Amino acid sequence: MKHTSRKWSLRVIVIGYLALLVGLPVGYLFIKAFSHGVGAFWSEVTKPNALAALKLSAEVALIAVPVNTVIGIGAALLLAKRKFFGSRALTLAFDIPVAVSPIIIGVALILAYSRIGWFGAWLSRNGITILFSPVGIVMATMAVSLPYVLRSVLPVMIEVGKEQEQAARTLGAGAFRTFWQITLPAIRWGVLYGVTLTIARTLGEFGAVLVVSGDITGKTQTLPIYIFAVWDQSYDTIGAFAGALVLASISIVALIILSSLRARERKLHVDLA
Amino acid sequence: MSISLSRLTKRYGPNTVVDDVNVEIPEGSLTAILGPSGSGKSTLLKLIAGLEVPDEGRVIIEGDDVTDVDPRYRDIGFCFQHYAPFRHMNVAKNIGFGLRVRKQTKDVINVKVRELLELVKLDDKADAYPAQLSGGERQRMALARALAIEPRVLLLDEPFGALDAIVRTELRHFVKELHQKIKVTTVLVTHDQDEAMEVADQLLIMHSGKIEQSGQPTDLYERPATEFVHSFLGPTTLFKGVAVRPHDLELVSPSLASTEGTVTSIMELGFEIHVTVTLSDGSAPWVQMSRNEFRALDIAVGSAVSMRERVPQ
Repeated sequence: MKHTSRKWSLRVIVIGYLALLVGLPVGYLFIKAFSHGVGAFWSEVTKPNALAALKLSAEVALIAVPVNTVIGIGAALLLAKRKFFGSRALTLAFDIPVAVSPIIIGVALILAYSRIGWFGAWLSRNGITILFSPVGIVMATMAVSLPYVLRSVLPVMIEVGKEQEQAARTLGAGAFRTFWQITLPAIRWGVLYGVTLTIARTLGEFGAVLVVSGDITGKTQTLPIYIFAVWDQSYDTIGAFAGALVLASISIVALIILSSLRARERKLHVDLA
Repeated sequence: MSISLSRLTKRYGPNTVVDDVNVEIPEGSLTAILGPSGSGKSTLLKLIAGLEVPDEGRVIIEGDDVTDVDPRYRDIGFCFQHYAPFRHMNVAKNIGFGLRVRKQTKDVINVKVRELLELVKLDDKADAYPAQLSGGERQRMALARALAIEPRVLLLDEPFGALDAIVRTELRHFVKELHQKIKVTTVLVTHDQDEAMEVADQLLIMHSGKIEQSGQPTDLYERPATEFVHSFLGPTTLFKGVAVRPHDLELVSPSLASTEGTVTSIMELGFEIHVTVTLSDGSAPWVQMSRNEFRALDIAVGSAVSMRERVPQ
């Protein structure tokens, strides 16, 4: 009896906590976004500046997510095999961008790439602009979403071990085939999880992007910055709520797809061993 | 000779794990590398496979010096201790992997995989995934996968190590039968002397990175060259300060021999019985005997007996 009551009180605490922090605000957001009807929601979402922001966010994600996925898997391959001089420093370097406040990433990028920085000065002499342009936004986004794939893949890779790869090698497989047919399928859940987190962070990043983007409406506004701008500057609550709902939905849908894929795979017994 | 190793040495930092090993493994033999854990036996196997690179020495397979050849091109079949199944492929796909790498046609692969499934008695498991197999079945799948490429040598790393006692015995017989059927030169690594004695026709006893002795199991058992081989290849007990086999001792009534003592423990292990006797000098050797011999003696803990070495008949 005591055991059951403890189990129930634990459940109530967890559910209550989640409701306060996630359920209530998101639910309220949903209600508010549609408070003037579906038509009002739709007209907010399809405003030119909102669409431009959505498009820019999608473009940034389309570049940042694949690049960080490839870099993350590559770094995991390097770090999983064996320890080498500087391997711990390398792991640490990957974590820095998420360990510090995004504002710091933004400010650091400005320092390095604006005309006051020596590298930025050289770039500007050669006619290359990074700050206040989509290039800067992509860089800031890639920085803040850097470690997710590595962090999701590395433990899986270590757990899987190198024996399957060695077995493939003794059977005659080269590095390319071994990676695509043995390594990648073995770590696929780590990769998908990492990619999902990367997408979520990429679409959602606000601070670092705000600093380097220059916040030019219709040009360098990503979706989160657009939402903040309409909220902060024009008190357009419906517009902000509608944008926020679109942003939240994308990430939530990505998480749902991932977890349902995983559940289906579990049913096939393929992943258990 | 199928495999020749000359002056083979492997070091990890300050530790020499394989130390100047010279070995000839005959064509078609089933050789067991036997040694305690940490003796370097698994490393030796991986050096043959090319999964480890030697610091010194040469590896020669069927006359070809393969020391600098990538494992991809050595034509060896390697079975890992934990089988290393490709978990995302079913049994048939696992077995056919090496054939797909070798760009065989679909028909050839299908026929070959069928044959191998039959050989390792997994006919009904072609579509199962490794996670759905028992330990013994996984091991047989790994064997079939390694054999599919028709290797020049088959290397098995602790092949029965991770299995329970009954499956172990079954699989030992299976490997022995399989070897009689296909005659491929096979080298297996084990720390279990019973397993090695039962399965292998050649033994290499390894200790601290060196080969202590090699030869046929019975020769090694009867004529161990070193104290280590003697104690490792079967039970020993100290009788009058000398290590002897417990089955080379016998118990008789006190009047028949001078070394008297008292029975202090009796361990019944099915057919065989171990009787420990504490002698007057304080030493406590044990004697191995059959159940019938034990019955005829009619002894219990506390009985007074004498001990002597068995006279060969």
